[in-house]
Amino acid sequence: MEENKIVELSSKERPLLLDCGKSLGPVKIAYTTYGNLNEQKSNAILICHALTGDQYVASQHPITKKEGWWSNVVGPNKSIDTNKFFVICPNIIGGCMGSTGPKEIDPLTQKEFGLNFPVITISDMVKAQKLLIDYLSIKKLFCVTGGSMGGMLVLEWLSKFPEYVHSAIPIATSVNHSAQNIALNELARQSIMADPDWQSGNYYGTDRQPTKGLSVARMAAHISYLSKESLHQKFGRNLQDKNELDYSFKADFQIESYLRHQGISFVDRFDANSYLYITRAMDYFDITVKNNGSLVEAFKNTKSKVLCISFTSDWLYPTSENKKIVKTLNALGIDVSFLEIETENGHDSFLLDEPEFFDALNGFISSTWREI
Amino acid sequence: MSLINKTKEFTIISDVITSKSNIIDIGCSDGSLIEYLKLNNNVVARGMEIDQSKIRTCLSKGISVVEGDADTDLFDYPDNLFDYSILTYTLQATKNPKVVLEQLVRIAGKAIVSFPNFGHWSIAMSLFFNREMPVNSTLDYSWYETPNLHFCTINDFINLCEGLNIKIEKKADLRKSVFKEFKGKSLYDSYFSESGLFLISKK
Repeated sequence: MEENKIVELSSKERPLLLDCGKSLGPVKIAYTTYGNLNEQKSNAILICHALTGDQYVASQHPITKKEGWWSNVVGPNKSIDTNKFFVICPNIIGGCMGSTGPKEIDPLTQKEFGLNFPVITISDMVKAQKLLIDYLSIKKLFCVTGGSMGGMLVLEWLSKFPEYVHSAIPIATSVNHSAQNIALNELARQSIMADPDWQSGNYYGTDRQPTKGLSVARMAAHISYLSKESLHQKFGRNLQDKNELDYSFKADFQIESYLRHQGISFVDRFDANSYLYITRAMDYFDITVKNNGSLVEAFKNTKSKVLCISFTSDWLYPTSENKKIVKTLNALGIDVSFLEIETENGHDSFLLDEPEFFDALNGFISSTWREI
Repeated sequence: MSLINKTKEFTIISDVITSKSNIIDIGCSDGSLIEYLKLNNNVVARGMEIDQSKIRTCLSKGISVVEGDADTDLFDYPDNLFDYSILTYTLQATKNPKVVLEQLVRIAGKAIVSFPNFGHWSIAMSLFFNREMPVNSTLDYSWYETPNLHFCTINDFINLCEGLNIKIEKKADLRKSVFKEFKGKSLYDSYFSESGLFLISKK
């Protein structure tokens, strides 16, 4: 059974307090659920989406009409089996698929938030997700999982609400953003803000949308999701629908055409301001900050069973970053497993058809479920 | 590679491990020793393994396992996190057995270590009479493809432990399948034991 819902959690009187000092209330959360919550409410799996993901984890996307971004993992008899588990996937706050974010109406002004939306953090996103879990009366999530930025949310759950997490699978992620990560995000933000159609974030309801800037931002980001090897294998130096160079700046190479397509198709489904806010939240993420600069301190109350997964060709959130998590959890004596999947598909591997990855997820989830 | 046979090895190890203790099996393979010890000793266990498919097998069995290497990844664990660290038939394949031994007794109160005895009479014979590197049930690789880097004899192992201030508490009697108090080097063992299996700890 699949359901799409939007709930209003927190209120003007009891707002969600944010790390920046401001507050949000009411907070809307758009979420999708699959399967049924059992009587003991012990079979819930929370899936945290990545930067440009959304709640349509295993169902057709309303705009692109494509199947869900993790439909190879989530579904009946898949690694996250919706026959057994109650899967919850909320759109993060700051997002643009129905949860409170910059393109939603600010109750104060009755106009879109735009840049009046407060700067949010990964921790704020998790606090909002916690409101949803409370609303669903779930006291313990059987598993919290997600890749990339979703993995950061998983780590935040482990650190902030350890008693709510029975098991966790952070995938291809990091305990904080490296200078290189921040640099790539800044490149994306600057390309959005350099687009005159961005209009200082006040483009809603106008006939000018920052599609060029957002498109370039997506192109740059997309390169970071792939590996040199996979780009070479897919495209090489092949020309696009031609046999000779054009001696122009048209998309001569297949890779150019591919990236342009990635950029253009992205703007239909994503909000430029959301992109600014979410990348900012990722850059600000450093789980040690509220824990005296200590990773051990950040996870000291964690009791969950954890599986960390990285991918060999991921240079955005490389194995070394994921191993920091493993090392810390080991030092604390936490029940942690770790696996580095061999693949040439780069950071995007967690979204692709990787049988060994699916097998590891399935093995961990099924055996952990048997132990309950 | 295994010590004489797996069942025998598992029984000997199981007999010496206190029930409900916290163990790590380094080079845990498909987790069968951990399963055995969970069943018979009620241990809390985790493994370390280098082979991907074996790691996935462990995960599906509900065994916590970290992809890692004895040479580099034992440093991650704090002192005395475990009651027992176990390293069966891997010491000779490590890059730095000395450091690995030190780590084993640092991260756990006691360590269980086994290795092929290069002092076994059949090995000496093979070298002496055939002038060929030995290949037998415990050393089942030819010289050009062996993963083993550091062969030692039972006496070499005892000497190294002494040098590292590591106490040898017990030594397995492989014929009787039991651990016995260690009473120093024995001529019999150094010639006739195909393997060494020891219980050691920090002095």
